[in-house]
Amino acid sequence: MLCKACNTDIPKKAKKCPKCGWTVRKDPKNIKPIAIAGAVISFIGGLLPFIQDSTSRNYKVAYSFMNYDNKAMWYIFMLLLVASVILCAVKYEKFSIITTVLAAVIFGITYNNICGQYGAPDMMVGLAMPVIIVGTVLGVAGCFLDVLKLKKKPEVDQRYLGNSRTVWQKMYIHRWFYVMALPVIIFVILFNYLPMAGLRYAFMSYKLGADPSYVGISQFLVMFSKKLFWQAFTNTLVISIVKLILNTFMAVIISILLNEMTNIVFKKSVQTIIYLPHFMSWVVVASIFTMMLSRSESGFINQLLMKLHLTDAPLSFLDNSKRWRGVYYLINIWKDTGWGTILFLATLSGISPELYEAAQIDGANRFNRMRYITLPALANTIITVFILNLAKVMNLFESVFVLQNDAVIEVSDVIQTYVYRQSFGGGIPDYGYTTAVGLFRSIISCVLVLLCNFASKKVRGRGIV
Amino acid sequence: MEENKYVYKKPKKKITPFGVFNTVLFILISIIILIPIWKVLVDSFDATTGYGMNFWPKQFTIDGYRMIVTRSDLYRPFFISVIVTVAGTFFGLLLSTLGAYVLIQWEMPGRNLFSYMLLFTMLFNGGMIPTYLVMANILHLTNTLWSVILPLAINVYNLVLMRNFFEGIPGSLFEAASIDGCSPIGTFFKIVLPLSKAALASIGLMYAVTFWNDYTNFKIYIVKTELFNFQMKLRNMVMDSDTPVEVGVVSMNTVQNAAIIVAIIPFMIIYPFCQDYFVHGVNVGAVKE
Repeated sequence: MLCKACNTDIPKKAKKCPKCGWTVRKDPKNIKPIAIAGAVISFIGGLLPFIQDSTSRNYKVAYSFMNYDNKAMWYIFMLLLVASVILCAVKYEKFSIITTVLAAVIFGITYNNICGQYGAPDMMVGLAMPVIIVGTVLGVAGCFLDVLKLKKKPEVDQRYLGNSRTVWQKMYIHRWFYVMALPVIIFVILFNYLPMAGLRYAFMSYKLGADPSYVGISQFLVMFSKKLFWQAFTNTLVISIVKLILNTFMAVIISILLNEMTNIVFKKSVQTIIYLPHFMSWVVVASIFTMMLSRSESGFINQLLMKLHLTDAPLSFLDNSKRWRGVYYLINIWKDTGWGTILFLATLSGISPELYEAAQIDGANRFNRMRYITLPALANTIITVFILNLAKVMNLFESVFVLQNDAVIEVSDVIQTYVYRQSFGGGIPDYGYTTAVGLFRSIISCVLVLLCNFASKKVRGRGIV
Repeated sequence: MEENKYVYKKPKKKITPFGVFNTVLFILISIIILIPIWKVLVDSFDATTGYGMNFWPKQFTIDGYRMIVTRSDLYRPFFISVIVTVAGTFFGLLLSTLGAYVLIQWEMPGRNLFSYMLLFTMLFNGGMIPTYLVMANILHLTNTLWSVILPLAINVYNLVLMRNFFEGIPGSLFEAASIDGCSPIGTFFKIVLPLSKAALASIGLMYAVTFWNDYTNFKIYIVKTELFNFQMKLRNMVMDSDTPVEVGVVSMNTVQNAAIIVAIIPFMIIYPFCQDYFVHGVNVGAVKE
């Protein structure tokens, strides 16, 4: 007989492994029948209303204990139970937990409906309810026990392990750390998790000054039918992705050229200057450029263009829907390119100078050295920066908000500014609708972060969250 | 000369066409970056209105700045900004050091739960409106400065950054401290914090920049004009022409330019001395996240 913990041979009648102290036990019993029995009982409970209905009601109302208006829930419930029995039977019992729990959740929701606002007054459910409750509890418990059994580690006697402590002892040792974690937990709950609970407004109509009421998914249907929403959605994607590509491209070029600079003092001062705009807020940047691009006599750019005879009359930039995006990208490049070079410069300074010297001996000119040494070394960092920023594309708000105006709404409106204007831009806001738009944004953003995380794991072996 | 052909010689510094091109290019880039800032600075000292293309004030005046320090509706926002920045940086550093210190306790039961709880907020959030509704209806914080300080103070990204810094502290120090009878809180104040001054500077500066430049949260949560910070005031001055009337000797534009300079001057002064801390923070954040 082999010890399950350390794989050594142990005598047949020994109760403990002499080497590691694993307690010899029989395999835990199969708990699958409990889960199957639970599912079957629930199934029967679901059918009960058909046979026990004795009075005036016909079959149509029989399954109304699930939901008075909609039979779909009952069908889904029954199908899930059947599925979990089948899954158990074909030895996929790990997955049967999903179907069973889903069935239980559906039952819980619809059961609530009966007791709550959608109650069916003349309902006679009888025995079905307790039978289903017992069956569902049994099924879920059985599935859980089954999964737990699979995960059980071999038990090793505590005496054979060095300084292992029980969980309670560990918790006692770390008691002060729980006190220290408490403020952080309170903050996260108040400012991150409470708003998540507020996402339920997406399924409500919540006009300012009126009580919220459930309207199902109709807010989403309204949203998908609105042209303004789709305009904001496409604008968000286009603006942030073009911006990302332009900024990354410029940052790579500038850092490669800056790396070629041999004069250290000059290089340092250029770095200091190009990092500067990053510390200005978007409000300041918008104020500066609104003045610079002004059409009046004080507008520097227009004066310059006229002096160079590139244009006869002053041009409008920020209130011209044809030029707005171009100007926006340029302002972004002005503000963030320098800051974006930090990571690239750090990577470049890590390249061994011996590589360049060797290449020089082999006769590579400056361009070849860049092409065959610098760029491959940068490739990984470029992808990293790209992935890190791609995860943020849906967050676009402040930079657009401070630079846009009514004249350029259709090219500049992004989801966040759309939500802001719908909620605070005058009129009676429907917080339900704006929450629905926000929820849509959060979901897209979450998917993007997960995709980027996956890509990041593939590319550099480490996720971003 | 012939026998030296295959011996590598370090190239002498000589002027190459590429070097010249590169130098000229970067001088140009620096000029492009600096022109808008320089123009604002010059115009803030210029009493005439049609600034045009001059790079030196035509008619020198400091009345724009005098206006900002004397008028209460202009210096009050400045002090609000200072208060919010100081308080916010304090709370931000407090929460991120506490959280990061808990996150490096690998033995602690529940540490993973805590970690997932924090990381999940990076994945998914309630969004603008539910957060606003929580602020307004549950916490009743709108129109107080707490509404702009507290939500930004818990920044999970900075917390994780701080953890990366803390992980660099050798574990033997913690063991030694606990053997000598130092409590976890004592270890925190006597060992962790003194050893991570660079990290505190780095992340503290990041928080300070965020709070000083905050506009979005003020725009959403604050309606009272007495509580506006300098960014809000500046925005209103430039966009909605909410410039103080009776400007007197100087023009509106001069005051606006002076206000822009006041808004950027704190970090323009601090930044060159702390550049390394900022850069270090960015690198640690991307390399070990």
